[in-house]
Parts: sequence; structure tokens; C-alpha cells
Amino acid sequence: MNKEEIIEVLKTIIEPYSEEVTALAHIDENTDFINDLKINSANLVDIVLDVEEKFNIEIDNDSMAKMLTVKATTEIIAQKLEAHAG
Amino acid sequence: MLGNDIVDLNLAKIQSNWRRKNYLDKIFTVEEQLLITSAKKPDEMVWLLWSMKESAYKIHNRKTGLRDFAPKSLKCSIHSNNKQTYGEVNIQDVIYFTKSNLQTAFIHTIAAPVYGKLEEIKVAIYELPDHPDDYKSTKPGCVSHHGQYLALVY
Repeated sequence: MNKEEIIEVLKTIIEPYSEEVTALAHIDENTDFINDLKINSANLVDIVLDVEEKFNIEIDNDSMAKMLTVKATTEIIAQKLEAHAG
Repeated sequence: MLGNDIVDLNLAKIQSNWRRKNYLDKIFTVEEQLLITSAKKPDEMVWLLWSMKESAYKIHNRKTGLRDFAPKSLKCSIHSNNKQTYGEVNIQDVIYFTKSNLQTAFIHTIAAPVYGKLEEIKVAIYELPDHPDDYKSTKPGCVSHHGQYLALVY
């Protein structure tokens, strides 16, 4: 799975937790979950759990700590998928 | 520096399903999970601990300039449990003191780096549709917004 494909899946995960229609329509690497998408911090946990389920990976606490932007989250998913494959 | 966090309990109920598998484990320490599972009102305990973590994090984040999402590393302890609940949140060995107001519709927690400061904090809580438009001009020390509620501390 390349970066673009990961972001596409990530978009479908994030959507139910944000009401910021415009920001959702313009999601890119620099999108910030809290500042741009106004996602409630208690729902960030749901996003982490959804990512674990959808990608079949495990997100450790150190990785979760960085998951505040699309960029950081995509990088973590790519790393975990690679570790999984290897 | 001050912190505060309000949880609209009616919104929390529909917005977050903390009973979801692995949810508590991502946020709460083993000790905190024990407080939740042994609580008479587990929902209230979840959001009490959450608001403690959030209010302390808001100070810590401004102080250090570091931003992260590591709720499990913010370790809570609770000292009393009635209408005024006092507690401490330990973030990398820095202690923040908290005082929480538990109501049926919301939980509000204030946080300060020094215990004695807690009693000096002035709190204003507004419910929709009565949110003041110009609250920023009153220069609150911390702003928290959730569901029906706007909470300001000075």
C-alpha cells in the first residue's frame, strides 16, 4: 500500500468523527485532526482503534502519541505495514 | 498558568463508546481502569479522569510547547469523591493539582501547578444558547468547549 492509498483509507476512518465539511473535503498530509478537523480528543482514540482494525496493525503508545496529523499517522501506518510484511 | 476541561455528559454518551474493546487500555493506566471498573457510576469515573487529564495537559502543553496524544502517560489519582473532587495528575513527574465539579449534566475540572492556586481560580460556565460572543475579550486563562457548554477560568 502506498502513501496515497493509505490516506484514502484514512479519510474514510476520519470522516465520521468530524463535522468540518470543508476541511474534510480538503484533507491532505498537513491536515491536523484537532486544529483543522476539530475532532474531539476522546474520539482520537477511536481513530487509533479503527486504524488498528482496518490495517490489521498494532499501534503502541509511543506511536499513538504522534498521531495528531494525517502526515504522522500515514507514516506510522506505513512503518507498521512494512514491519508486518517483513 | 491554568487549565480547565468540561465534558457534556449527554454528548459524551453518544460521541464516545468507552466500552469499546481496547478503548480504556489506550487511555487509562491499570490503576485508573480499576477505579472505573469498581466505580458505582463508571461513566462518571471515565469522564472525571478524562477531564483531569485534559485540564492538566492544557497547562503542561503550554509550558513545554510539546504536543502529543499520550493520555496514558498522564497519571491520575483522586483524593476525595463527593461534589468537590480533588486530584493530582502526574505528567513525567510534574504534578498538577485538580478540582472537579461533578454534575448530572456535566463534569468540569480545573487544574493548577500549585495546590493553593485552586481555590483562587474563578470559574464561569455557560450553557447554550447563552454563550457570550465576546468572551475572548475577558482574557480567560483557559477555555474549554464541549456540547452545550463553554467553561472559562480566570
